[in-house]
Amino acid sequence: MRIWAQSHLCQKPPQASSILAAAFTLIFLILSASQSASALPAFARKYGLRCSACHESWPILNNFGLKFRDNGYQLMNDRDAPIWQNPAYWPVTFRITPIWHRYSALSNTDTYSGGTLTGTNTAVTRIESSGFDLSGLDFHTGGTLEKNISFYVLPSSDSTAAFHFETVMARLDNIGNSPWLNVKLGRFELNNLLSEKRMVQLTANGGIYQTYHFIPVGDGNIFGQMGDNQLGMEYLGHSADDRTRISAALLSSSDGNVNLIMGSNSYSGFFTFDQGIDAGKLGVQRVGAYAFVGEAATYYRTSGGVPIPGSGIGNKGFSRVGFTGQLYLGPHFDLNVVTQHGEDNAWFGQGYGNAVATNGNGAATATCINDPAIGCPLDNVPGTTLPPGSRAPTWNGYTFEARYVVSPQFMILGVYEAERMSQQATPGTPGNLGNINNWTIAYRYNPFMTSRAGFAYHGEFNVFHQNGTGPTSPSGAPTNTNTDELLFGIDFDF
Amino acid sequence: MHTNLLKWPLLLSVVVALCFSTAAYAQLTTYQLQDWLNSPAASSHVGDITGNAKAAALPYRRFCVGCHGELGDGNGENAVWFLTPLYAQPRNFQLAIFKCRSTPTGTLPTDQDLYDTIGRGMDRSNMPAWIPLSKQERADLVAWIKHYSPRWQTEKAGTPIQIPPEPEITPERVKAGQDVFARMQCFKCHGVQGKANGPSASTLTDDLSQPIAPFNFTDGSRPKCGSTDVDIYRIFMTGLDGTPMPSFADNIKPDEAWDLVFYLRSLQPHNAYNEKERQIANQLGLKPVNPNPAQ
Amino acid sequence: MKRQDNSKLAAVSVCLLLCLVVAGLSLSLTNWEVSAAPEGKITGTVKLDGTAPHMKGIDMSKDPWCVKQHANDPAHLELVVVGKDNGLGNVVLYISEGLSGDALNAKPTAVPVFDQKNCLYTPHVLAMDVGQEFKVETSDQTAHNIHPEPNPLTGNIPWNQSQPPGAPPVTKSWKAVEMIHVKCNIHPWMSGYFAVVKGPYAITGEDGSYTIENVPPGSYTVTAWQETYGNQTAKVTVAGGQSAKADFTFKAK
Repeated sequence: MRIWAQSHLCQKPPQASSILAAAFTLIFLILSASQSASALPAFARKYGLRCSACHESWPILNNFGLKFRDNGYQLMNDRDAPIWQNPAYWPVTFRITPIWHRYSALSNTDTYSGGTLTGTNTAVTRIESSGFDLSGLDFHTGGTLEKNISFYVLPSSDSTAAFHFETVMARLDNIGNSPWLNVKLGRFELNNLLSEKRMVQLTANGGIYQTYHFIPVGDGNIFGQMGDNQLGMEYLGHSADDRTRISAALLSSSDGNVNLIMGSNSYSGFFTFDQGIDAGKLGVQRVGAYAFVGEAATYYRTSGGVPIPGSGIGNKGFSRVGFTGQLYLGPHFDLNVVTQHGEDNAWFGQGYGNAVATNGNGAATATCINDPAIGCPLDNVPGTTLPPGSRAPTWNGYTFEARYVVSPQFMILGVYEAERMSQQATPGTPGNLGNINNWTIAYRYNPFMTSRAGFAYHGEFNVFHQNGTGPTSPSGAPTNTNTDELLFGIDFDF
Repeated sequence: MHTNLLKWPLLLSVVVALCFSTAAYAQLTTYQLQDWLNSPAASSHVGDITGNAKAAALPYRRFCVGCHGELGDGNGENAVWFLTPLYAQPRNFQLAIFKCRSTPTGTLPTDQDLYDTIGRGMDRSNMPAWIPLSKQERADLVAWIKHYSPRWQTEKAGTPIQIPPEPEITPERVKAGQDVFARMQCFKCHGVQGKANGPSASTLTDDLSQPIAPFNFTDGSRPKCGSTDVDIYRIFMTGLDGTPMPSFADNIKPDEAWDLVFYLRSLQPHNAYNEKERQIANQLGLKPVNPNPAQ
Repeated sequence: MKRQDNSKLAAVSVCLLLCLVVAGLSLSLTNWEVSAAPEGKITGTVKLDGTAPHMKGIDMSKDPWCVKQHANDPAHLELVVVGKDNGLGNVVLYISEGLSGDALNAKPTAVPVFDQKNCLYTPHVLAMDVGQEFKVETSDQTAHNIHPEPNPLTGNIPWNQSQPPGAPPVTKSWKAVEMIHVKCNIHPWMSGYFAVVKGPYAITGEDGSYTIENVPPGSYTVTAWQETYGNQTAKVTVAGGQSAKADFTFKAK
């Protein structure tokens, strides 16, 4: 569930602070804190395992949960087929997260004098807003249709109950009785060791991995994002003990968006490998590597000046490669690392790509062709040339997520992410433009733990910093984005 | 004077000692295993790994407690929902009676046996294979499991049975294996074709008086205590304690036991282990045994 | 998990030490007292008060061989066996209190035999001393498994052995006092008991009479155990070389 998962580009208008509400929530949480719960109860109910069996803390998978997932949501006990379940068993779990949330960000503001507007965007002001909120509602349904045929469907709504298909996937498992041969088809979670679909963080900037979504400033390539559910087909294989895992996915270059409007005729591939190493008393360490390489259109043919949906051509390449690691230091502490070296074709770097008929804010407009002034993406129409000296933007990203697992019911987590441009698309651009520092700390406490339901208290604080993308100062100099968020809530599922 | 001064503290200490010992006894009976957990004996030895019971307190709570319970008595929150004979009840570690052993019937299993069971899981039950856990964690859990039963403090694990090396498979051996199957009357429960439909199959109960089904050799399921030839050998020579499956160690000679393994293999549908056995049984045209040869 | 602090441990050990000393003293004293006088015995009859319950017949159709053995002699469940004059059979009698020293710890050398015959247990209840060896045999041409079900926390460990036709006898013993149910999983009607007691014991015949031999002089509590009706106790005093009497009556349910 990506509640706040819009990127930082869409900041919400902030308002006044509310220390009172924060205090109230804190007191409520402290008072109500008592004794345990959470996994996908649809699975927990089926197998009678507690959430903690599969999850370090829900929804983060531990090694056992990883194997369960890799087996196609099966324990492999010859009782996986639904025919063995009580007829009343139906694998549905809903999840919702009521929260209190405070958001603080810089914004350009107008100035007034004597009741009249005296200047438009003449000041930069920190704006804070806070209030109670709801996440959307998720319906997780997953399980098996028959032995070695599994599925996962996740209709997910935003907080206004507008639904979309977060995940829709069917899987053939253990083809020919080999754990090395599994195929899935649909819209699914990429095989990221540190998965954004399984993070506990809920804030806007902390609730996504910046490394998975980083796009250089002015870059038009939205297709190279690794955190989203993607549309395609995936091959997965793993050793019988799940220590060695490989996967290869063929994806539509559409950033997971359903239908053929975006990125049609272009595909990308996502490849992962990881190896678990039993390090005695420290636990099972996992190290791996991934590569996300693909192409995406930079040119949409037009009819009467209007782009034709699904007509994308002029494919240009992009790549994201890196290492992953899941390092345990005994039963309580683990450190997860993802590195990334990213590169986009120079055309993307200059803002081409994603050339659909929108104004950049999602709204369709017939005139939106090659007009960056009104927020339109660029379309690589015939005869277009790149500005002289254009280069492929490249960057490096790092994500460190440290978790301290006090007990199966209580986890404290800290995340630091750094995104560093190494080559800007246009010579002369400040070298640090778009660099990100992102800090998050969070706790998650399950006051009780059973095999039937999940319930957790959640608290989180995030600070997000990006160079040069803040509101323009009155003097015209660029400022940095500096945003912080605080969030408390209850996360439950049943 | 001195004696008077000494008398009261002495008396007091006796009274206190009595009170405490009663309290301690009550505690010991409800949870008599504190000392064990803190003693150096609270360990397991699997290969060159030494498992430490205390280190498993957290993993036990994370992975095991839902079924096996806080007290290891198999009365976790899920136990009541395991309907037999579809599912076996969670093991009661306090009684320390285990199906999968390399040791004779009526003895405690070795640490290695428990370790193997944890890693293998129990087919047709909700006990999954915990092989994703680190070896150390599994060894720690073995030590932890042992702390639930006083038996581990007074008894030693049994001596593993001797298993001679597996001989070359021959048609004669498969045929001889069938004779053993007939002579031991395995069909009483497992049926003449190994389909778990023998005359006594429907009335079998385990030690908890719960219905239990004999193993069906023909439906492709895995034997509960392992799938390899040695595992099968071990199953019928040690018995599955707590179930109706007895030990045949006194009645089947080691060499004959291998014959029986080969024959049982031929009953199974094709799997990774039984190519030859099935071929031979086909060539021999083996018919199911006659359950009532005298009549 | 609760923890015991050291002071409690110390207290426990002190107590244990004291107990040991006291127990050791009393043990040596009694030993010294007992050694001389000639042994007596306890005799009596166990009767059933009321109508003997109907002995249910057994459906052995699952095993044709068993059916054949009982063609002319229908088998019955032996939960309550009543003989002439309402004498109650298969009742185990033993001294539950008052024995000490050698009389308590002596192990009979006889090896009682538990036979699987015609798909029934003969005898239905086999009494034995703790540590006394006993033998399980099979006279049948059908396979049994012999599966005693003691509570392992008493020190008696359950086991389960196959007994195909011609199987060699199994020789075993038990570690603790317990009435152990024994069954055959193949023939679910087969049900018997290993009555494990400490010290001299007897078991009633069909007429309900018994004699416990080799009882040193002293005052005792005698317990009579019947598998359906449970326990009854009686106090008796045995004089040297004499026979003391203890009769029991179980009420039919």
